[in-house]
Amino acid sequence: MILSNIRKLPATLALIAASWACCAGANADASAGDAVPNNDFRLGSYTVFYRASSDDLSGPYVPSGVNFHIDNLETLYIGYVRRLSAHFSAELAIGYPPLTKTYGAGPATLGSVPYNGQAISTARWLAPTGFLEYNFFAEDAVLRPFIGVGVNYTNFYDRRSTEAGDAASGGPTRIELPPSVGPAVTAGLAYRIAPRWHAYASYSASKVNTRLTAITGGVDRTSHIEFNPQVLVVSIGYAF
Amino acid sequence: MDNFFKAVVAAAAISLVSACGSSTTTSSVSSSTARGTLAVDPPLRIASLDAATFAAQLGATATGTELLALTNAPVCGVDFYYVKFWTVGGANETTESSGALMVPTGAAPSCSGPRPIVLYAHGTDTDKATNIADITNSSNTEGALIAAAFAAQGYIVVAPNYAGYDISTLGYHPYLNAVQNADEMTDILTAARTALPNTLSSATSDNGKLFITGYSEGGYVAMATQRALEAAGKTVTAAAPMSGPYALEAFGDTIFLGGVDLGATVFSPLLTTSYQHAYGNIYSATTDVFSSQYASGIATLLPSTMPIDTIFAEGLLPETALFDSTTPTVTVPGNAALSAELTAALAVPSNPADPFTPLFQLGFGTAYLINNDYRASYAINVVNFIDGADPAPLSPVGSPPTLATIPSAIPSPSLAPAFYLRQAFNTNDLRNPAWAPSAPTLLCGGDADPTVFFSVNTGTMAAFWSDLPQGLVSVLDINGTPATSAPLDAFAPLQVAFQASQAALLLYYQSAAGGGLSPAAAEAAVVQGTHTAEAPFCTVAARSFFSQF
Repeated sequence: MILSNIRKLPATLALIAASWACCAGANADASAGDAVPNNDFRLGSYTVFYRASSDDLSGPYVPSGVNFHIDNLETLYIGYVRRLSAHFSAELAIGYPPLTKTYGAGPATLGSVPYNGQAISTARWLAPTGFLEYNFFAEDAVLRPFIGVGVNYTNFYDRRSTEAGDAASGGPTRIELPPSVGPAVTAGLAYRIAPRWHAYASYSASKVNTRLTAITGGVDRTSHIEFNPQVLVVSIGYAF
Repeated sequence: MDNFFKAVVAAAAISLVSACGSSTTTSSVSSSTARGTLAVDPPLRIASLDAATFAAQLGATATGTELLALTNAPVCGVDFYYVKFWTVGGANETTESSGALMVPTGAAPSCSGPRPIVLYAHGTDTDKATNIADITNSSNTEGALIAAAFAAQGYIVVAPNYAGYDISTLGYHPYLNAVQNADEMTDILTAARTALPNTLSSATSDNGKLFITGYSEGGYVAMATQRALEAAGKTVTAAAPMSGPYALEAFGDTIFLGGVDLGATVFSPLLTTSYQHAYGNIYSATTDVFSSQYASGIATLLPSTMPIDTIFAEGLLPETALFDSTTPTVTVPGNAALSAELTAALAVPSNPADPFTPLFQLGFGTAYLINNDYRASYAINVVNFIDGADPAPLSPVGSPPTLATIPSAIPSPSLAPAFYLRQAFNTNDLRNPAWAPSAPTLLCGGDADPTVFFSVNTGTMAAFWSDLPQGLVSVLDINGTPATSAPLDAFAPLQVAFQASQAALLLYYQSAAGGGLSPAAAEAAVVQGTHTAEAPFCTVAARSFFSQF
């Protein structure tokens, strides 16, 4: 899953890599002394557990109990952490935008059209999360727990109704999912492998909610959806 | 800080790339409001039912089970589309309207590929929110009827909700306005033909055959549409108007002369409002026509979001009392004999030999809808401009059922105030202008119908067309003696079944389960439901008739 996503990584990753290479080199020249590196790039796995809940879809000609289900997924984690002081740091965390499938949940059929368990729509989302983190213990400790609070911004794009979704909705369907801004918290542990290399594990939760509008044949159906993802990140970071 | 900045730029770059991926297409909304334009293309499919699911849904209720027994089990599935289209109102105002496109689906050979279209017009509905496409609404019995009778048997069904209903912002309904009714039917047909290839059911297509039918108000609309399409040289394969008020002038005369039909207090404001919008001359104030008790707000009362029972309960309309039980004394200047004759004609009906007499008497009360002055004026107009279909002695027995000749403007103030209403009836009577169907036509109805009288409407049209080639226009009295000779003998089983169901209903109303009514009360209850009860039988007769072509 991660590998296939990496193969699909667009030029954006190359851009990150280029900035990393350039600056890591520049920093290496300047860090002959004991200065603590201020920057840390991390790559790893980003496992999303949805705690999604949504209102039943409401609108014209929608029977009661029409709802959704979203599968958990795994994607590539990219993180950048800036050291602010001996104990404080700022993190910008991004998961490579995953293709999220939404499945019908509720009646087995709508009329005679299969619904429950059908993949009805797909969307990608870019969800950068900024954290302010507090790191425990000394900077050269082998294990450093950290906790953080921050803000998540989620932008949904490539929103598509599948053929099964169109059939259930009653025609070609446009899906609107306005961006979400919400709080996020994290807690994790850093393990020092080498002076510049660390392994990290963290668990984050963020509040992501949006109002889904499905527009079919001039008719709007809506649902308030709370995704509230929890994210397990396992990563390796290089400080420079 | 350099590096932090670059990382942010990189993240922003991802965001920008992602912003380009946009959402998928949906229906397009037409910017044209020209007549017949499909407003939303493709239309919304409200429901898709396969044959088994539709059968199961109908079978879940008692009325649905009865309907299935009559229409036979669905052969095809049905996709129900909600069509929005542009049409015109009664004064040629541009308005959006809506309706149904029901498409047969499924593997049976009669359910896909090129199929005929049934253009259907529904009956009078006081519910402004009525949507015949919404099969998910259990009160949409007429939608279920036409889906079961036609769509599930392989006919594509196109049926408007009518301007003034559902999404239409017209503010009134052009009720029994022949020109508008035909225009709207033509417009939804055009829009539905545009829509069909773009739907999820595009495996079914239009084979070019067009059948036109409708019930009650819709029977009138169907006949007006047949006339307009044939006049325009368009294909009409066959038509089956059912239980419609076709001979509107003669029907109006019958009612004003005391033969008050069941539902008259609802039909009256629908008519005056429709013609006031179309012609602007029906009244200068609603009190010219209606008693002060009901006149206020009556011009915008119907159709309504309020249930009709609430409208009665709120005292906004009388339930049955169309006229004052203290009947008017008519004075025709200089003609004492005629004055006396009209005064007697307007008395509360009391002929014990007429089975409709108890029904007519319900049309009179102390809390009545229409003023005596107006009723008297209408009666004077009737005797000034005789309709050949009017009852004797106004029109001698055997008179040709010709329309009255009414001048375009009021010739004498003595004819006011009802002159222009009767003129509107004359204008919208389907004998005006004279025409005859060129496609085979079946007129189905029942002679015990208390709502749309059979003989003055269906009988008058049949007499009007009595010179046509044999077989072009057939009349089926679903309540009549079962036919024994072709072509009507094909419908004899339906006549037998209808009459058996009415007889069973009479017994039911007298049983404990049915309320234990007295024989007379049970009879009245059966009569009250007759107009509605005929509909499925005539509809199946129409299908049987169409299947020959």
